[in-house]
Amino acid sequence: MNLSEIGIIGEDEILRGSRNKYTLSGFFIFLFVVINHYSTSILSLFSFKSNADIPFYLISYFIILFLGPFLIMMASFDIISNEVETGSIRYIISKIDRASFVLGKFLALFIVFVFALFAITIINLFYTYFSNNTIQLGTAVLFWGFSSLYLGCFITIFLFISALSENNRTSLIMSIVFLGILFFLLIQGNDSFLKYFTPFSYGINNIGFFGKSTHVIDFYALFKNTFAMIIYEIIFLSMSLFAIKRRDL
Amino acid sequence: MTSIITTEGLSKKYGSQFVLNDVSLNVKNKDIYGFLGENGAGKTTTIKLLSGLLISTSGKIIIDDMDMDIESNNIKKIIGLVPQDSSFYDSRNALSHMIYYGRLKGLTKKDALEQSNILLDKVGLKEAMKKNVGYFSHGMKKRLAIAQALLNKPKILILDEPTNGLDPAGTRQIKEILCEFNNNGITIVISSHNLLEIQEICNRVGIIHKGKIIAEDKIETIRHLESNGVVTVGVYNLSHKIINLIESLEFVVKTELKAENILDIFVNSMDDTKPEINKLIVENGGRVFKLVENSLSLEDAFFNITNSY
Repeated sequence: MNLSEIGIIGEDEILRGSRNKYTLSGFFIFLFVVINHYSTSILSLFSFKSNADIPFYLISYFIILFLGPFLIMMASFDIISNEVETGSIRYIISKIDRASFVLGKFLALFIVFVFALFAITIINLFYTYFSNNTIQLGTAVLFWGFSSLYLGCFITIFLFISALSENNRTSLIMSIVFLGILFFLLIQGNDSFLKYFTPFSYGINNIGFFGKSTHVIDFYALFKNTFAMIIYEIIFLSMSLFAIKRRDL
Repeated sequence: MTSIITTEGLSKKYGSQFVLNDVSLNVKNKDIYGFLGENGAGKTTTIKLLSGLLISTSGKIIIDDMDMDIESNNIKKIIGLVPQDSSFYDSRNALSHMIYYGRLKGLTKKDALEQSNILLDKVGLKEAMKKNVGYFSHGMKKRLAIAQALLNKPKILILDEPTNGLDPAGTRQIKEILCEFNNNGITIVISSHNLLEIQEICNRVGIIHKGKIIAEDKIETIRHLESNGVVTVGVYNLSHKIINLIESLEFVVKTELKAENILDIFVNSMDDTKPEINKLIVENGGRVFKLVENSLSLEDAFFNITNSY
Protein backbone atom coordinates (compact mmCIF):
# COMPACT_ATOMS: atom_id res chain seq x y z
CA MET A 1 0.00 0.00 0.00
CA ASN A 2 1.36 3.39 -1.01
CA LEU A 3 -0.31 6.75 -0.31
CA SER A 4 0.94 8.33 -3.51
CA GLU A 5 -0.47 5.43 -5.60
CA ILE A 6 -3.81 5.65 -3.73
CA GLY A 7 -3.87 9.38 -4.47
CA ILE A 8 -3.19 8.90 -8.19
CA ILE A 9 -5.90 6.22 -8.54
CA GLY A 10 -8.36 8.36 -6.57
CA GLU A 11 -7.57 11.49 -8.56
CA ASP A 12 -7.93 9.64 -11.85
CA GLU A 13 -11.27 8.17 -10.80
CA ILE A 14 -12.56 11.60 -9.70
CA LEU A 15 -11.33 13.52 -12.75
CA ARG A 16 -11.53 10.97 -15.54
CA GLY A 17 -13.52 8.02 -14.22
CA SER A 18 -17.13 7.09 -14.86
CA ARG A 19 -19.57 10.03 -14.93
CA ASN A 20 -22.13 7.81 -13.25
CA LYS A 21 -21.31 8.96 -9.73
CA TYR A 22 -21.66 12.64 -10.68
CA THR A 23 -25.02 12.11 -12.34
CA LEU A 24 -26.29 10.22 -9.30
CA SER A 25 -24.94 12.66 -6.71
CA GLY A 26 -26.28 15.55 -8.82
CA PHE A 27 -29.68 13.87 -8.84
CA PHE A 28 -29.39 13.35 -5.08
CA ILE A 29 -28.68 17.05 -4.47
CA PHE A 30 -31.52 18.12 -6.78
CA LEU A 31 -33.89 15.77 -4.97
CA PHE A 32 -33.09 17.43 -1.65
CA VAL A 33 -33.67 20.90 -3.08
CA VAL A 34 -37.09 19.78 -4.30
CA ILE A 35 -38.00 18.00 -1.05
CA ASN A 36 -36.87 20.86 1.18
CA HIS A 37 -38.61 23.38 -1.01
CA TYR A 38 -41.95 21.61 -1.03
CA SER A 39 -41.77 20.38 2.57
CA THR A 40 -42.33 23.95 3.73
CA SER A 41 -45.61 24.12 1.81
CA ILE A 42 -46.83 20.50 2.07
CA LEU A 43 -45.86 19.43 5.59
CA SER A 44 -47.27 22.58 7.14
CA LEU A 45 -50.71 21.43 5.90
CA PHE A 46 -50.51 18.44 8.22
CA SER A 47 -49.11 18.23 11.72
CA PHE A 48 -46.77 21.16 11.74
CA LYS A 49 -48.03 24.40 13.22
CA SER A 50 -45.51 26.57 11.42
CA ASN A 51 -42.61 26.24 8.99
CA ALA A 52 -40.29 26.61 11.94
CA ASP A 53 -41.38 23.20 13.23
CA ILE A 54 -40.37 21.30 10.13
CA PRO A 55 -37.42 19.04 10.97
CA PHE A 56 -35.49 19.45 7.73
CA TYR A 57 -32.57 17.33 8.87
CA LEU A 58 -34.80 14.47 9.95
CA ILE A 59 -36.61 14.43 6.59
CA SER A 60 -33.31 14.55 4.73
CA TYR A 61 -31.80 11.86 6.93
CA PHE A 62 -34.75 9.53 6.25
CA ILE A 63 -34.24 9.95 2.52
CA ILE A 64 -30.54 9.26 2.82
CA LEU A 65 -31.30 6.25 4.99
CA PHE A 66 -33.49 4.52 2.43
CA LEU A 67 -32.65 6.05 -0.96
CA GLY A 68 -28.92 6.52 -0.37
CA PRO A 69 -28.00 2.81 -0.55
CA PHE A 70 -29.65 2.48 -4.01
CA LEU A 71 -27.78 5.49 -5.35
CA ILE A 72 -24.50 4.21 -3.90
CA MET A 73 -25.15 0.82 -5.46
CA MET A 74 -25.71 2.36 -8.88
CA ALA A 75 -22.59 4.49 -8.55
CA SER A 76 -20.21 1.83 -7.27
CA PHE A 77 -21.21 -1.66 -8.41
CA ASP A 78 -18.98 -1.45 -11.50
CA ILE A 79 -16.08 0.53 -10.09
CA ILE A 80 -13.70 -2.46 -10.11
CA SER A 81 -15.60 -5.06 -12.12
CA ASN A 82 -15.65 -2.74 -15.14
CA GLU A 83 -11.85 -2.54 -15.12
CA VAL A 84 -11.68 -6.33 -14.79
CA GLU A 85 -14.21 -6.86 -17.57
CA THR A 86 -12.47 -4.53 -20.04
CA GLY A 87 -8.99 -5.71 -19.02
CA SER A 88 -7.74 -2.19 -18.29
CA ILE A 89 -6.93 -3.30 -14.73
CA ARG A 90 -3.92 -5.25 -16.07
CA TYR A 91 -2.10 -2.06 -17.02
CA ILE A 92 -2.64 -0.74 -13.50
CA ILE A 93 -2.05 -3.83 -11.38
CA SER A 94 1.17 -4.60 -13.29
CA LYS A 95 2.50 -1.26 -11.98
CA ILE A 96 1.17 -0.84 -8.44
CA ASP A 97 0.03 -2.70 -5.37
CA ARG A 98 -3.48 -4.13 -5.60
CA ALA A 99 -4.42 -2.64 -2.23
CA SER A 100 -3.59 0.87 -3.50
CA PHE A 101 -5.95 0.33 -6.42
CA VAL A 102 -8.91 -0.66 -4.22
CA LEU A 103 -8.28 2.05 -1.63
CA GLY A 104 -7.90 4.68 -4.37
CA LYS A 105 -11.26 3.70 -5.84
CA PHE A 106 -12.89 3.79 -2.39
CA LEU A 107 -11.39 7.18 -1.66
CA ALA A 108 -12.68 8.63 -4.94
CA LEU A 109 -16.25 7.47 -4.35
CA PHE A 110 -16.18 8.50 -0.71
CA ILE A 111 -14.92 12.00 -1.53
CA VAL A 112 -17.55 12.52 -4.24
CA PHE A 113 -20.40 11.54 -1.91
CA VAL A 114 -18.98 13.44 1.07
CA PHE A 115 -19.04 16.56 -1.12
CA ALA A 116 -22.56 15.78 -2.29
CA LEU A 117 -23.66 15.38 1.34
CA PHE A 118 -21.94 18.64 2.21
CA ALA A 119 -24.01 20.35 -0.47
CA ILE A 120 -27.16 18.72 0.95
CA THR A 121 -26.22 19.91 4.46
CA ILE A 122 -25.86 23.48 3.15
CA ILE A 123 -29.24 23.19 1.42
CA ASN A 124 -30.77 22.08 4.73
CA LEU A 125 -29.13 24.97 6.56
CA PHE A 126 -30.46 27.36 3.95
CA TYR A 127 -34.04 26.10 4.27
CA THR A 128 -33.80 25.95 8.09
CA TYR A 129 -32.76 29.60 8.13
CA PHE A 130 -35.43 30.79 5.68
CA SER A 131 -38.22 28.97 7.54
CA ASN A 132 -37.41 30.99 10.65
CA ASN A 133 -35.90 28.01 12.45
CA THR A 134 -32.90 28.19 14.75
CA ILE A 135 -29.74 27.22 12.97
CA GLN A 136 -28.02 24.43 14.87
CA LEU A 137 -24.55 23.99 13.46
CA GLY A 138 -23.95 20.95 15.67
CA THR A 139 -26.89 19.15 14.09
CA ALA A 140 -25.64 20.12 10.63
CA VAL A 141 -22.20 18.67 11.36
CA LEU A 142 -23.72 15.51 12.85
CA PHE A 143 -25.98 15.13 9.81
CA TRP A 144 -23.03 15.49 7.44
CA GLY A 145 -20.77 13.15 9.45
CA PHE A 146 -23.32 10.41 10.07
CA SER A 147 -24.66 10.47 6.51
CA SER A 148 -21.11 10.25 5.14
CA LEU A 149 -20.23 7.33 7.38
CA TYR A 150 -23.52 5.61 6.64
CA LEU A 151 -23.11 5.90 2.86
CA GLY A 152 -19.43 4.97 3.31
CA CYS A 153 -20.57 1.61 4.72
CA PHE A 154 -22.51 0.95 1.51
CA ILE A 155 -19.61 2.07 -0.65
CA THR A 156 -17.40 -0.55 1.04
CA ILE A 157 -20.08 -3.23 0.60
CA PHE A 158 -20.49 -2.62 -3.13
CA LEU A 159 -16.74 -2.18 -3.59
CA PHE A 160 -16.28 -5.62 -2.05
CA ILE A 161 -18.88 -7.13 -4.38
CA SER A 162 -17.28 -5.36 -7.36
CA ALA A 163 -13.85 -6.69 -6.35
CA LEU A 164 -15.24 -10.23 -6.32
CA SER A 165 -17.05 -10.03 -9.67
CA GLU A 166 -15.80 -11.06 -13.10
CA ASN A 167 -18.03 -8.58 -14.92
CA ASN A 168 -20.51 -5.75 -14.42
CA ARG A 169 -23.57 -7.91 -14.83
CA THR A 170 -22.54 -10.31 -12.08
CA SER A 171 -21.63 -7.38 -9.87
CA LEU A 172 -25.01 -5.68 -10.38
CA ILE A 173 -26.98 -8.86 -9.69
CA MET A 174 -24.91 -9.65 -6.59
CA SER A 175 -25.31 -6.06 -5.38
CA ILE A 176 -29.11 -6.14 -5.76
CA VAL A 177 -29.31 -9.50 -3.98
CA PHE A 178 -27.05 -8.30 -1.18
CA LEU A 179 -29.04 -5.11 -0.73
CA GLY A 180 -32.19 -7.25 -0.54
CA ILE A 181 -30.56 -9.39 2.14
CA LEU A 182 -29.64 -6.28 4.13
CA PHE A 183 -33.27 -5.11 3.98
CA PHE A 184 -34.41 -8.54 5.08
CA LEU A 185 -31.99 -8.46 8.02
CA LEU A 186 -33.29 -5.03 8.94
CA ILE A 187 -36.89 -6.25 9.00
CA GLN A 188 -36.22 -9.64 10.61
CA GLY A 189 -33.37 -8.79 12.90
CA ASN A 190 -34.81 -5.90 14.85
CA ASP A 191 -34.50 -7.65 18.18
CA SER A 192 -31.67 -10.04 17.39
CA PHE A 193 -27.95 -9.95 16.65
CA LEU A 194 -28.73 -10.02 12.90
CA LYS A 195 -29.28 -6.29 12.93
CA TYR A 196 -25.53 -5.76 13.48
CA PHE A 197 -24.86 -7.14 10.00
CA THR A 198 -26.69 -4.30 8.31
CA PRO A 199 -25.69 -0.62 8.13
CA PHE A 200 -29.42 0.25 8.11
CA SER A 201 -29.44 -0.59 11.79
CA TYR A 202 -26.59 1.81 12.56
CA GLY A 203 -28.23 4.47 10.42
CA ILE A 204 -31.59 4.10 12.20
CA ASN A 205 -29.84 4.35 15.59
CA ASN A 206 -28.82 7.88 14.61
CA ILE A 207 -32.31 9.16 13.88
CA GLY A 208 -32.65 10.42 17.44
CA PHE A 209 -30.00 13.08 16.78
CA PHE A 210 -32.16 14.82 14.17
CA GLY A 211 -35.50 15.02 16.00
CA LYS A 212 -36.93 18.15 17.47
CA SER A 213 -35.06 18.20 20.74
CA THR A 214 -31.56 17.94 19.43
CA HIS A 215 -29.96 20.40 21.77
CA VAL A 216 -29.10 17.61 24.23
CA ILE A 217 -26.66 15.24 22.58
CA ASP A 218 -26.12 11.76 23.95
CA PHE A 219 -22.36 11.54 23.51
CA TYR A 220 -22.22 7.86 24.42
CA ALA A 221 -24.66 6.98 21.65
CA LEU A 222 -22.83 9.33 19.31
CA PHE A 223 -19.49 7.61 19.96
CA LYS A 224 -21.00 4.11 19.81
CA ASN A 225 -22.73 4.66 16.47
CA THR A 226 -19.75 6.40 14.88
CA PHE A 227 -17.37 3.68 16.05
CA ALA A 228 -19.71 0.92 14.84
CA MET A 229 -19.92 2.41 11.34
CA ILE A 230 -16.16 2.94 11.11
CA ILE A 231 -15.56 -0.69 12.17
CA TYR A 232 -18.14 -1.84 9.60
CA GLU A 233 -16.29 0.06 6.86
CA ILE A 234 -12.91 -1.27 7.96
CA ILE A 235 -14.23 -4.85 7.89
CA PHE A 236 -15.64 -4.54 4.38
CA LEU A 237 -12.58 -2.67 3.09
CA SER A 238 -10.33 -5.41 4.50
CA MET A 239 -12.50 -8.03 2.83
CA SER A 240 -12.21 -6.11 -0.49
CA LEU A 241 -8.43 -5.99 -0.14
CA PHE A 242 -8.29 -9.69 0.65
CA ALA A 243 -10.56 -10.50 -2.31
CA ILE A 244 -8.50 -8.49 -4.81
CA LYS A 245 -5.17 -9.76 -3.47
CA ARG A 246 -6.13 -13.39 -3.92
CA ARG A 247 -7.77 -13.19 -7.30
CA ASP A 248 -6.37 -13.78 -10.77
CA LEU A 249 -6.64 -10.87 -13.18
CA MET B 1 25.83 -13.73 -17.82
CA THR B 2 23.73 -13.44 -14.65
CA SER B 3 20.08 -14.47 -14.53
CA ILE B 4 17.50 -11.74 -14.15
CA ILE B 5 14.39 -13.94 -14.14
CA THR B 6 14.35 -17.37 -12.53
CA THR B 7 11.37 -19.54 -11.76
CA GLU B 8 11.59 -22.73 -9.74
CA GLY B 9 8.85 -25.34 -9.85
CA LEU B 10 6.25 -22.77 -10.87
CA SER B 11 2.76 -24.24 -11.08
CA LYS B 12 -0.71 -22.87 -11.67
CA LYS B 13 -3.89 -24.82 -11.20
CA TYR B 14 -7.45 -23.87 -12.19
CA GLY B 15 -9.79 -26.18 -10.29
CA SER B 16 -8.12 -29.57 -10.51
CA GLN B 17 -6.45 -28.82 -13.86
CA PHE B 18 -2.78 -27.82 -13.96
CA VAL B 19 -2.20 -25.24 -16.71
CA LEU B 20 1.43 -24.86 -15.66
CA ASN B 21 3.30 -27.66 -14.05
CA ASP B 22 6.73 -27.34 -12.46
CA VAL B 23 8.00 -24.65 -14.83
CA SER B 24 11.61 -23.59 -14.35
CA LEU B 25 12.74 -20.68 -16.49
CA ASN B 26 16.06 -18.92 -16.60
CA VAL B 27 16.26 -15.57 -18.41
CA LYS B 28 19.67 -13.97 -18.48
CA ASN B 29 20.36 -10.26 -18.18
CA LYS B 30 20.04 -8.39 -21.51
CA ASP B 31 18.61 -11.44 -23.28
CA ILE B 32 15.87 -11.26 -25.86
CA TYR B 33 14.16 -14.38 -24.63
CA GLY B 34 11.55 -15.98 -26.84
CA PHE B 35 8.85 -17.93 -25.14
CA LEU B 36 7.41 -20.41 -27.59
CA GLY B 37 4.40 -22.65 -27.44
CA GLU B 38 1.21 -23.62 -29.18
CA ASN B 39 -2.10 -21.99 -28.26
CA GLY B 40 -3.06 -23.06 -24.75
CA ALA B 41 0.44 -24.27 -23.89
CA GLY B 42 0.71 -21.90 -20.92
CA LYS B 43 2.58 -18.91 -22.35
CA THR B 44 0.11 -16.23 -21.23
CA THR B 45 -0.28 -17.85 -17.81
CA THR B 46 3.49 -17.73 -17.31
CA ILE B 47 3.67 -14.11 -18.49
CA LYS B 48 0.84 -13.14 -16.13
CA LEU B 49 2.56 -14.89 -13.23
CA LEU B 50 5.81 -13.06 -13.99
CA SER B 51 4.04 -9.72 -14.02
CA GLY B 52 2.04 -10.34 -10.84
CA LEU B 53 -1.40 -10.59 -12.48
CA LEU B 54 -1.89 -14.20 -11.42
CA ILE B 55 -1.18 -15.88 -8.11
CA SER B 56 0.87 -19.07 -8.46
CA THR B 57 -0.34 -22.32 -6.94
CA SER B 58 3.22 -23.27 -5.99
CA GLY B 59 6.80 -22.45 -6.88
CA LYS B 60 9.03 -19.43 -6.75
CA ILE B 61 9.60 -16.44 -9.02
CA ILE B 62 12.84 -14.53 -8.52
CA ILE B 63 13.26 -11.34 -10.55
CA ASP B 64 16.42 -9.27 -10.20
CA ASP B 65 17.18 -11.08 -6.92
CA MET B 66 13.73 -10.24 -5.51
CA ASP B 67 11.16 -12.83 -4.52
CA MET B 68 7.75 -12.21 -6.09
CA ASP B 69 5.97 -13.43 -2.92
CA ILE B 70 7.77 -10.86 -0.76
CA GLU B 71 8.72 -7.91 -2.97
CA SER B 72 6.13 -7.93 -5.73
CA ASN B 73 5.71 -4.15 -5.53
CA ASN B 74 9.44 -3.54 -6.07
CA ILE B 75 9.45 -6.04 -8.92
CA LYS B 76 6.58 -4.18 -10.58
CA LYS B 77 8.72 -1.03 -10.64
CA ILE B 78 11.35 -2.66 -12.87
CA ILE B 79 8.97 -4.47 -15.22
CA GLY B 80 7.13 -3.16 -18.24
CA LEU B 81 4.24 -5.35 -19.36
CA VAL B 82 2.55 -5.49 -22.74
CA PRO B 83 -0.53 -7.69 -22.22
CA GLN B 84 -1.99 -9.75 -25.02
CA ASP B 85 -5.16 -7.69 -25.32
CA SER B 86 -4.78 -3.93 -25.54
CA SER B 87 -7.63 -2.79 -23.31
CA PHE B 88 -7.43 0.94 -22.87
CA TYR B 89 -10.05 3.51 -21.89
CA ASP B 90 -11.77 4.34 -25.17
CA SER B 91 -12.78 7.85 -24.14
CA ARG B 92 -9.27 8.98 -23.24
CA ASN B 93 -6.43 9.95 -25.51
CA ALA B 94 -3.04 8.27 -25.77
CA LEU B 95 -1.21 11.05 -23.93
CA SER B 96 -3.64 10.93 -21.01
CA HIS B 97 -3.06 7.15 -20.72
CA MET B 98 0.70 7.62 -20.81
CA ILE B 99 0.72 10.32 -18.11
CA TYR B 100 -1.55 8.25 -15.86
CA TYR B 101 0.56 5.09 -16.23
CA GLY B 102 3.78 7.10 -15.93
CA ARG B 103 2.66 8.53 -12.59
CA LEU B 104 1.71 5.04 -11.40
CA LYS B 105 5.26 4.01 -12.30
CA GLY B 106 6.57 6.68 -9.95
CA LEU B 107 7.19 9.55 -12.35
CA THR B 108 6.18 13.14 -11.62
CA LYS B 109 3.56 14.69 -13.91
CA LYS B 110 6.27 16.68 -15.69
CA ASP B 111 8.57 13.68 -16.20
CA ALA B 112 5.64 11.53 -17.29
CA LEU B 113 4.70 14.12 -19.91
CA GLU B 114 8.28 14.40 -21.12
CA GLN B 115 8.78 10.62 -21.40
CA SER B 116 5.34 10.17 -22.98
CA ASN B 117 6.21 12.58 -25.79
CA ILE B 118 9.48 10.78 -26.50
CA LEU B 119 8.01 7.27 -26.37
CA LEU B 120 4.90 8.09 -28.39
CA ASP B 121 7.16 9.60 -31.02
CA LYS B 122 9.33 6.48 -30.99
CA VAL B 123 6.38 4.14 -31.56
CA GLY B 124 4.95 6.39 -34.27
CA LEU B 125 1.98 7.78 -32.35
CA LYS B 126 3.07 11.40 -32.01
CA GLU B 127 0.47 12.65 -34.51
CA ALA B 128 -2.30 10.67 -32.81
CA MET B 129 -1.41 11.32 -29.17
CA LYS B 130 -4.41 13.60 -28.60
CA LYS B 131 -6.85 11.30 -30.38
CA ASN B 132 -9.18 9.15 -28.28
CA VAL B 133 -7.98 5.55 -28.08
CA GLY B 134 -11.45 4.39 -29.07
CA TYR B 135 -10.62 5.53 -32.61
CA PHE B 136 -7.26 3.70 -32.67
CA SER B 137 -6.63 0.71 -34.92
CA HIS B 138 -5.45 -2.59 -33.43
CA GLY B 139 -1.87 -1.81 -34.48
CA MET B 140 -1.97 1.66 -32.88
CA LYS B 141 -3.22 0.16 -29.62
CA LYS B 142 -0.37 -2.37 -29.67
CA ARG B 143 2.12 0.44 -30.15
CA LEU B 144 0.56 2.39 -27.29
CA ALA B 145 0.82 -0.75 -25.14
CA ILE B 146 4.54 -0.95 -25.90
CA ALA B 147 5.05 2.76 -25.23
CA GLN B 148 3.36 2.59 -21.80
CA ALA B 149 5.46 -0.45 -20.87
CA LEU B 150 8.64 1.51 -21.54
CA LEU B 151 7.73 4.34 -19.14
CA ASN B 152 10.28 4.98 -16.39
CA LYS B 153 12.89 2.85 -18.19
CA PRO B 154 12.10 -0.68 -17.00
CA LYS B 155 14.90 -3.24 -16.65
CA ILE B 156 12.69 -5.97 -18.07
CA LEU B 157 10.10 -5.75 -20.80
CA ILE B 158 7.56 -8.58 -20.95
CA LEU B 159 5.45 -8.85 -24.08
CA ASP B 160 2.61 -11.29 -24.66
CA GLU B 161 2.15 -11.85 -28.41
CA PRO B 162 2.99 -8.24 -29.28
CA THR B 163 2.74 -8.65 -33.03
CA ASN B 164 -0.47 -10.67 -33.02
CA GLY B 165 -2.82 -9.21 -35.63
CA LEU B 166 -0.35 -6.64 -36.93
CA ASP B 167 0.43 -6.00 -40.58
CA PRO B 168 3.99 -6.71 -41.81
CA ALA B 169 5.01 -3.05 -41.53
CA GLY B 170 3.73 -2.84 -37.95
CA THR B 171 5.47 -6.11 -37.05
CA ARG B 172 8.73 -4.87 -38.49
CA GLN B 173 8.49 -1.59 -36.63
CA ILE B 174 7.88 -3.36 -33.32
CA LYS B 175 10.82 -5.70 -33.92
CA GLU B 176 13.07 -2.70 -34.60
CA ILE B 177 11.89 -0.97 -31.42
CA LEU B 178 12.53 -4.08 -29.34
CA CYS B 179 16.02 -4.55 -30.74
CA GLU B 180 16.80 -0.88 -30.09
CA PHE B 181 15.72 -1.08 -26.46
CA ASN B 182 17.58 -4.34 -25.99
CA ASN B 183 20.73 -2.62 -27.27
CA ASN B 184 20.13 -0.03 -24.54
CA GLY B 185 20.32 -2.80 -21.94
CA ILE B 186 16.68 -3.84 -21.43
CA THR B 187 16.02 -7.56 -21.02
CA ILE B 188 13.11 -8.63 -23.19
CA VAL B 189 10.82 -11.63 -22.72
CA ILE B 190 8.53 -12.12 -25.68
CA SER B 191 5.92 -14.83 -26.00
CA SER B 192 4.79 -15.81 -29.44
CA HIS B 193 3.74 -18.65 -31.66
CA ASN B 194 5.32 -16.89 -34.62
CA LEU B 195 8.53 -18.90 -34.84
CA LEU B 196 10.07 -16.90 -37.66
CA GLU B 197 9.73 -13.71 -35.68
CA ILE B 198 11.32 -15.31 -32.61
CA GLN B 199 14.17 -16.70 -34.71
CA GLU B 200 14.83 -13.24 -36.12
CA ILE B 201 15.09 -11.27 -32.89
CA CYS B 202 15.71 -13.62 -29.96
CA ASN B 203 19.00 -15.04 -28.78
CA ARG B 204 17.53 -17.56 -26.32
CA VAL B 205 14.25 -19.45 -26.31
CA GLY B 206 12.17 -21.56 -24.01
CA ILE B 207 9.64 -23.98 -25.43
CA ILE B 208 6.53 -24.68 -23.39
CA HIS B 209 4.29 -27.60 -24.19
CA LYS B 210 1.18 -28.63 -22.25
CA GLY B 211 2.21 -26.51 -19.28
CA LYS B 212 5.79 -27.77 -19.08
CA ILE B 213 9.09 -26.35 -20.29
CA ILE B 214 10.52 -28.95 -22.62
CA ALA B 215 13.56 -27.08 -23.93
CA GLU B 216 15.40 -23.91 -23.03
CA ASP B 217 18.64 -22.72 -24.58
CA LYS B 218 20.25 -20.53 -27.23
CA ILE B 219 18.44 -20.63 -30.57
CA GLU B 220 21.38 -22.35 -32.29
CA THR B 221 21.44 -25.07 -29.64
CA ILE B 222 17.67 -25.55 -29.78
CA ARG B 223 17.79 -25.80 -33.56
CA HIS B 224 20.29 -28.63 -33.30
CA LEU B 225 18.90 -30.27 -30.22
CA GLU B 226 17.46 -33.23 -32.05
CA SER B 227 19.64 -33.19 -35.15
CA ASN B 228 22.26 -30.98 -36.78
CA GLY B 229 20.58 -30.71 -40.10
CA VAL B 230 18.32 -32.29 -42.64
CA VAL B 231 19.42 -33.91 -45.87
CA THR B 232 16.72 -33.97 -48.52
CA VAL B 233 17.20 -36.73 -51.00
CA GLY B 234 15.24 -37.38 -54.21
CA VAL B 235 15.33 -40.98 -55.48
CA TYR B 236 13.36 -42.16 -58.54
CA ASN B 237 12.89 -45.68 -57.25
CA LEU B 238 12.79 -45.08 -53.53
CA SER B 239 12.00 -48.34 -51.70
CA HIS B 240 11.33 -49.33 -48.11
CA LYS B 241 14.57 -51.27 -48.18
CA ILE B 242 16.54 -48.11 -48.97
CA ILE B 243 14.70 -46.12 -46.27
CA ASN B 244 15.41 -48.84 -43.69
CA LEU B 245 19.07 -48.91 -44.66
CA ILE B 246 19.31 -45.12 -44.38
CA GLU B 247 17.65 -45.22 -40.95
CA SER B 248 20.18 -47.78 -39.80
CA LEU B 249 23.06 -45.37 -40.44
CA GLU B 250 24.69 -44.28 -37.19
CA PHE B 251 24.29 -40.52 -37.72
CA VAL B 252 20.63 -40.62 -38.83
CA VAL B 253 18.13 -39.52 -36.17
CA LYS B 254 14.96 -40.12 -38.18
CA THR B 255 13.51 -39.90 -41.67
CA GLU B 256 10.34 -38.33 -43.01
CA LEU B 257 8.84 -39.20 -46.40
CA LYS B 258 7.86 -35.86 -47.93
CA ALA B 259 6.56 -37.15 -51.25
CA GLU B 260 6.55 -40.42 -53.16
CA ASN B 261 10.26 -40.15 -53.88
CA ILE B 262 11.48 -37.33 -51.64
CA LEU B 263 12.90 -38.19 -48.23
CA ASP B 264 14.02 -35.86 -45.44
CA ILE B 265 16.84 -37.40 -43.42
CA PHE B 266 17.52 -35.78 -40.02
CA VAL B 267 21.21 -36.21 -39.27
CA ASN B 268 23.20 -35.69 -36.12
CA SER B 269 26.72 -35.21 -37.36
CA MET B 270 29.05 -32.30 -37.87
CA ASP B 271 30.64 -33.94 -40.96
CA ASP B 272 29.29 -33.92 -44.49
CA THR B 273 27.00 -36.94 -44.59
CA LYS B 274 25.84 -36.57 -48.20
CA PRO B 275 28.52 -38.81 -49.87
CA GLU B 276 27.79 -41.71 -47.52
CA ILE B 277 24.02 -41.44 -48.06
CA ASN B 278 24.50 -41.19 -51.83
CA LYS B 279 26.79 -44.25 -51.85
CA LEU B 280 24.31 -46.34 -49.86
CA ILE B 281 21.39 -45.44 -52.16
CA VAL B 282 23.34 -46.11 -55.38
CA GLU B 283 24.73 -49.42 -54.08
CA ASN B 284 21.17 -50.54 -53.42
CA GLY B 285 19.91 -49.68 -56.89
CA GLY B 286 18.49 -46.24 -56.24
CA ARG B 287 18.77 -43.43 -58.82
CA VAL B 288 19.40 -40.15 -57.03
CA PHE B 289 18.16 -36.96 -58.72
CA LYS B 290 18.42 -34.57 -55.74
CA LEU B 291 20.67 -34.41 -52.71
CA VAL B 292 20.78 -31.22 -50.62
CA GLU B 293 21.54 -30.43 -46.99
CA ASN B 294 19.72 -27.70 -45.06
CA SER B 295 20.24 -26.54 -41.53
CA LEU B 296 17.13 -26.88 -39.37
CA SER B 297 14.99 -23.82 -38.85
CA LEU B 298 13.58 -23.03 -35.41
CA GLU B 299 10.22 -24.13 -36.79
CA ASP B 300 11.59 -27.58 -37.67
CA ALA B 301 13.22 -27.83 -34.27
CA PHE B 302 10.02 -26.71 -32.53
CA PHE B 303 7.91 -29.36 -34.22
CA ASN B 304 10.56 -32.02 -33.69
CA ILE B 305 10.75 -31.26 -30.00
CA THR B 306 7.02 -30.84 -29.33
CA ASN B 307 6.09 -33.90 -31.39
CA SER B 308 8.42 -36.06 -29.34
CA TYR B 309 6.46 -35.14 -26.16
